Amino acid sequence: MSEPEAMAAEVETMLALVRERYGHRLDAAQLAAVRTSIEAIVQAARALRAVRLTNADEPAQPFAAYRADP
Amino acid sequence: MTEDVVFRPVRALAEGVRTRRLSPVMLAETFLDRLERLGPRYNAVVTITRDRALEQARRAEAEIASGRYRGPLHGIPYGAKDLLATSGGIPTTWGAAPFKDRVLDFDATVILKLEAAGGVLCAKLAMVELAGGMGYRQPNASFTGPGVNPWNREAWSGGSSSGSGSAVAAGLVPFAIGSETWGSILSPAGHCGITGLRPTYGRVSRHGAMAICWTLDKLGPLALTADDCGLVLQAIAGRDPADPTTADRTYHYPGPTPAGRRFRFGVLRGITEGCEPEVRDNFTRSLEVLKALGTVEEVTLPDLPYDEITRTILFAEASSAFEDLIEDGGIAALTAPEDRYTPYARDAILAKDYLKALRLRGVMAREADRVLASLDALVAPGRATVAARLGSEFRSAIRGTARDVMGAVGNGAGLPAVAVPNGFGARGLPTSLQFMGRAWEENGVLAAACAYQSVTDWHTRHPEAV
Repeated sequence: MSEPEAMAAEVETMLALVRERYGHRLDAAQLAAVRTSIEAIVQAARALRAVRLTNADEPAQPFAAYRADP
Repeated sequence: MTEDVVFRPVRALAEGVRTRRLSPVMLAETFLDRLERLGPRYNAVVTITRDRALEQARRAEAEIASGRYRGPLHGIPYGAKDLLATSGGIPTTWGAAPFKDRVLDFDATVILKLEAAGGVLCAKLAMVELAGGMGYRQPNASFTGPGVNPWNREAWSGGSSSGSGSAVAAGLVPFAIGSETWGSILSPAGHCGITGLRPTYGRVSRHGAMAICWTLDKLGPLALTADDCGLVLQAIAGRDPADPTTADRTYHYPGPTPAGRRFRFGVLRGITEGCEPEVRDNFTRSLEVLKALGTVEEVTLPDLPYDEITRTILFAEASSAFEDLIEDGGIAALTAPEDRYTPYARDAILAKDYLKALRLRGVMAREADRVLASLDALVAPGRATVAARLGSEFRSAIRGTARDVMGAVGNGAGLPAVAVPNGFGARGLPTSLQFMGRAWEENGVLAAACAYQSVTDWHTRHPEAV
């Protein structure tokens, strides 16, 4: 499968999910706009996935174990 | 005496109040009157807080008369973006129709800090609904109407801190508090020809502020000068147990830079690509000014998907922050038609991709710091374009229809930046220059901005019609 075909397939899969969850609230024009938004999201995700990271590259996200005082 | 105080910087007003040549009550009445008369012209105001303002002003006047002067914000009127919680029956609407009558019973930490500094809350200011977190793409995206630009009433004021920008630019308040997740302080500051400061993530408590993105949201001041932004930041900065993301770092604003300080500025290669011609020309002229204040060198960042990193984080967190409103269909009551369905698309963001964005964010933060370590600031156009026409769509990096490397890196890495006016472009609208620094180096970018404003007069120009 070519890159454009793979992306189109991913967009259709995601669109099917959104249609399943929210399709009853969306008319055809809105669904088309949602498709455009999903295309942008999938494009962004593929750009992120294209960058290689090491196992040591953690999310830049602090988490602290919690314990109520005292 | 009354209208003479309009368009005077906070520092000048403060000196008048301190020496009792200016009365806080007179100041409050002057700006309350302007908010009432002119606020509707710009769709700048949600709620005028007259009772609270006059009570705070009378208290300030009495304290100062008795020799208890709290500092440079004592007795100074201000406005707050309407995503900051306020008690006393004052609504907190988030700019969104579903919340237009909602009243909270507590004050955001920033509101409390400004009260402790003697500030006088005169208004809750208009904003893009839910601070733009739903994906708006045109100015009419608030239940109070589109933010109108004081320089050209056919143009947008910028957003999402729309009223914070237009109210300062129109002389309705001496300073305002806004918030930025991606562009929401620098955009209205730039479009309205005023100064806006985006502090380092974690510098200012967000307790009591509406959340769009827990790891991107920042609160900061908009004012006439960079110096005023420093005065306000000193009052609102600091650790807050109610916001665990605030850092335990003391902030002190030392005041304007002494003349003669030399700066080292960097410019990202290709940063003006995609800018309007007037924006590019004004930036080129600004660089000439900066060369008289120090050195300017071209720098590069490694090739990373900066926009995609920050956008993925923003979309995923906003989708979660407003999960209830999206899931129950409450977004159907929002003003902008696109805000009523765009959020549904964000179910397409996979957890794995969000985490990849968070991992890449660490790389981005380290690379940005490496470049900034040898500089006082990276400089760039504040916005690529002047303000959009009221009825038009605008390009947005957040939606992926424009590139904004400075915004993506600055917000994604939580870096401070200040935007200052640097000229005018199409349709008589202001353009801006931004200075971005290392984390926790607000004083560095403020010093550079103050130095720029000490040799230019763009910040002293005001719209004629106000």
